[in-house]
Amino acid sequence: MRMQPARVLRFLGVRFVSSAVVLLGVLVVVFAIVQLVPGDPVRLALGTRYTPEAYEALRAASGLDRPLPEQFVGYVGGALTGDLGVSFRNGEPVTTTLLSRLPPTISLALAGLAIALVIAVPAGIWSALREGRVSDAIVRTASQFGVSVPDFWLGMLLISLFSVTLGVLPASGYTAITENPAEWARRVALPALTVGLVAGAIMTRYIRAAVLDVASAGFVRTAVSKGLPRRVVTFRHIVRNALVPVLTIAGIQLATILGGVIVVEVVFAWPGLGRLVYDAVAARDYPLIQGAVLLIAVMFLLVNLLVDVLYAVIDPRIRVS
Amino acid sequence: MGKRVISGAALAVTALLVAGCSAGEGVDLDSSGADGEVLVAAIGGEPDQLDPQKTTSYFAFEVLENVFDTLVEPDENLEMQPALAESWEVSDDQLEWTFTLRDGVTFHDGSEFTSADVVYSYDRIIDEELSNAWKFASVTDVTAPDDQTVVITVAQPTPNLLSNLGGFKGMAIVQEDNVASGDITTAPVGTGPFSVEEYVSGDHITLTANPDYWGGAPELGGVEYRFISEPATALAALRGGEIQWTDVVPPQQVGELETDEALELGVTPSSDYWYLALNQAREPWSDVRVRQAIAYAIDRDAIVQAVSYGTAELNQLAIPEQSVWHTPYDTYSTDMDAAQQLMAEAGFTGGTLDLLATSDYPETVTAAQIIAANLEPLGIEVSIRQPDFSTWLDEQNSGNFDMLMMGWLGNIDPDDFYYSQHHSTGASNAQKYANPEVDQLLDAGRVETDTEARKDLYAQAATIIADEASYIYLYNPSVIQTWSPSVTGYEARADRAIRFRDAALGD
Repeated sequence: MRMQPARVLRFLGVRFVSSAVVLLGVLVVVFAIVQLVPGDPVRLALGTRYTPEAYEALRAASGLDRPLPEQFVGYVGGALTGDLGVSFRNGEPVTTTLLSRLPPTISLALAGLAIALVIAVPAGIWSALREGRVSDAIVRTASQFGVSVPDFWLGMLLISLFSVTLGVLPASGYTAITENPAEWARRVALPALTVGLVAGAIMTRYIRAAVLDVASAGFVRTAVSKGLPRRVVTFRHIVRNALVPVLTIAGIQLATILGGVIVVEVVFAWPGLGRLVYDAVAARDYPLIQGAVLLIAVMFLLVNLLVDVLYAVIDPRIRVS
Repeated sequence: MGKRVISGAALAVTALLVAGCSAGEGVDLDSSGADGEVLVAAIGGEPDQLDPQKTTSYFAFEVLENVFDTLVEPDENLEMQPALAESWEVSDDQLEWTFTLRDGVTFHDGSEFTSADVVYSYDRIIDEELSNAWKFASVTDVTAPDDQTVVITVAQPTPNLLSNLGGFKGMAIVQEDNVASGDITTAPVGTGPFSVEEYVSGDHITLTANPDYWGGAPELGGVEYRFISEPATALAALRGGEIQWTDVVPPQQVGELETDEALELGVTPSSDYWYLALNQAREPWSDVRVRQAIAYAIDRDAIVQAVSYGTAELNQLAIPEQSVWHTPYDTYSTDMDAAQQLMAEAGFTGGTLDLLATSDYPETVTAAQIIAANLEPLGIEVSIRQPDFSTWLDEQNSGNFDMLMMGWLGNIDPDDFYYSQHHSTGASNAQKYANPEVDQLLDAGRVETDTEARKDLYAQAATIIADEASYIYLYNPSVIQTWSPSVTGYEARADRAIRFRDAALGD
C-alpha cells in the first residue's frame, strides 16, 4: 500500500520550502559572521604593514564600505548566482577554491560512510538479535568507545600503527580518484578509517535500536506464529524493515561527515573543505570562511532532502507533519 | 566476539583498499625529465600567493627561496655575497652604487635576464608602495646604463643597502610579463635553482630543477612541498619515508628527536628576538631604576623553558651570538635584592601593571604568566590582557599599556634591530624611549661605511639601550627543522631561508 503520488509531491514540496527557509537563515548567519567579528576584518586580513590606500581598496573590494542592507542583498544575490566574492588572501574567487576542494571531501566522506556501513550493519543487527547476551554487551561497549573517542586521537593512533610501525599506509597526501584509483585508495584508507570507525560506532547503536524496534512489531509476531523459519523472519521481515531508519541515519551521518571532517582532514593533510575552513579561519579569510560554511550547510540540506525523498518513496507510513 | 566483528570488518575494508596497490614506497616520485631525485618537504601551511614581492607569508618564502634570486644574498653568516650581481662598486662620496650583473642568466621561461628586469622589479616595489618599499627609503634612483649594469643612487651613505637588497626573497627580481599576466600569484617565473612546475591548491607545490641555473644545476631533480599543519602527522610521514624534510616540529619533541638516530635534527638560533617594553610615557615606568628593577626580577630561564622547552637562546640584547653584529651583554641575571634596592631608590613601593600580550602569539601569554609571578614579590600586581593581534597593535600604537611583550622577526642589519625601535623619532618606538646619545649613535651607524667603526657604534648604542631597559630583551627563538639522513648538503639557517639548491638525496 504505497502513498499516492499527489501526497508524495505535497510532502516533497513542503520539505523543499522548509529547506529554502533554513537556507535563508544560514545566509543571514553567514553574512553576520563578518559583522560580528571583534575588530575590523579588513585590518585583520591585511596584517601589520599596510597603507591606508590598501585598506580602503580592500574595504571597497569586499563591499564593506556600503550600508548593511545593501551588503546583505548583494551577498544573497551573489550567493544565488554562485558568486561568493574573492578571497582576502589571494584574490581568487571563493567559488573556484570551494569547487576545487569538493572532490577530496566527497570522496573521503563516501569512503568513510562505506566503512561505517560495513561495520555498523552487521554489528548492529547481530547485537540486536543477541539482545541481553554477552556479545550484545561487547558490541555496545565497543560502540560506546567509538562514539566517545576523539577523532584526532584515533587518527594519530592509526598513523602510528599503519604508517610508522607497520609502514604500509601513507599518513598524508592526496591523489585524485580520477587520476589513479589505487593510489587514491591507499591515501584515503587511514582518514576514511578514522571517519568510518567513529561514524560506524554511532550507526551501530541506531541500527541495533531499529532492529529491536521492528522485532517487537506486530507483523513479526504474526510471521513467527505462522511458523516461518527463524532465518526467514529475521532477514525478510526484521532486517528489511529496519533498513528504512538505517537509510535515514546513513544520510544524517553522511551530511555530518561532509561538514565535520575538519579535524580528520587537518590531521591527514587532506586537501578538502574541512582543511580549507581550518586554514581560512587561521588566516582570517572571511569571504572564504563564509563561502565554506554556506557550502557545507547547502550540502547538509541537500543530503537531508535526498534522504526524505527516498524515505517517502520507500516507507508507506510517512506523514506530512 | 563483538569487538572482533568491528575490527575484522575494518581490517577487511582496509585490505580491500590496499589490495591492488604495489607494495613498497608510497612516494610518487614524479621526476619529469630531471635526472635527480625529488625531495618531498612538508611545510606547515599553504602560501597565500607566490608573488615574492607581495606575499608576507613565511610558507610562501619557504618555496620561493628556491625559485627566485636577489642581486645579492646572505651566506650562512648572514653576510651579503654575489648572486644576480657578480660585483659592485661604491662611489667615493658613497652615493652611487654600480652593480655589474652576471652574464648569460635566463628566467625559467628561457627569456634573458638583464638590467631592465632589476629596474622593473625595484620600481614596482617603490611605485606600488609594496610592503618592502621602506627598504628603499634612501634610494633616489635606479637606472640601467646598459644590459649588464644597474646604478642605484642614494640620498645619503647607506652601508646597509646590500642587506636591504638581498636580505630575503621579498626583494626578488621578477619578470614583467609574468607580473602583467597575473600569473605570478600562482605560476611565478624566476631565475632561481628550481622552477614552479605544478601548484595544486590545498595539497602541494612541485618545483623542478633548473638545468641552466647560474650557480650550476641542482643535484635534486625537484622539490615537492606538501602542506601538513599537524606536527605529529609530519613526523610520522618523515619516519614513514613519505617526506624527507619538515619544519613542522613541536619544540617539546626536540629532546626526543635529538636522540633519534633515524632522523637528522637542525636547531639553530634565529635572528628573531622577543622582548618586553615598558611604557615610558607613564609613571613609574619613566624612571629608569624601576625598569631596571623589573629587568632584574624576571626569570629568563623559566620563560625560555616555558615558551620553547629550552630550545630558544637566552639573550639580553637583540642580535644572536652567531651574527657578526653580536654585542655581548649579560648585566641582568635574576637578582631580587638588586631589584628591591632599585625599587627603594626610585621610591616605588608597588602597584598594578597592565601587561599587554596577544592570543595570536601564545608565547606572549605563557611568558606573561611567569612575569606576573616574578613581579609579585616586588609588590607589583600584574593584570594580563590577551586581545587578538590587530587590537594589540591598536593598543600599542595608542600607548594604552604599561608593559608589552612582542618579537621582531627576520632582521639582518643592526639598523633594522635598533633604529625604528629606539631612536626618539623611530616609527616603532611605542615605549617612547628618548636618549640623545643613542639617537646620535644610531644616526651615525646609518651612514658609517667603515664596518669596524660601524660595529663599534652599534655596540655602544645597544649597550645603552639595554642598560636603560628601553627594551628588556629575553631570547632568540631557534629554527627547528628535521630531515631524513638520506638528505645531504642541507643546513638549517639562522634567517630561516630553506635552500635546497645544494641538497641531494641518497639512499
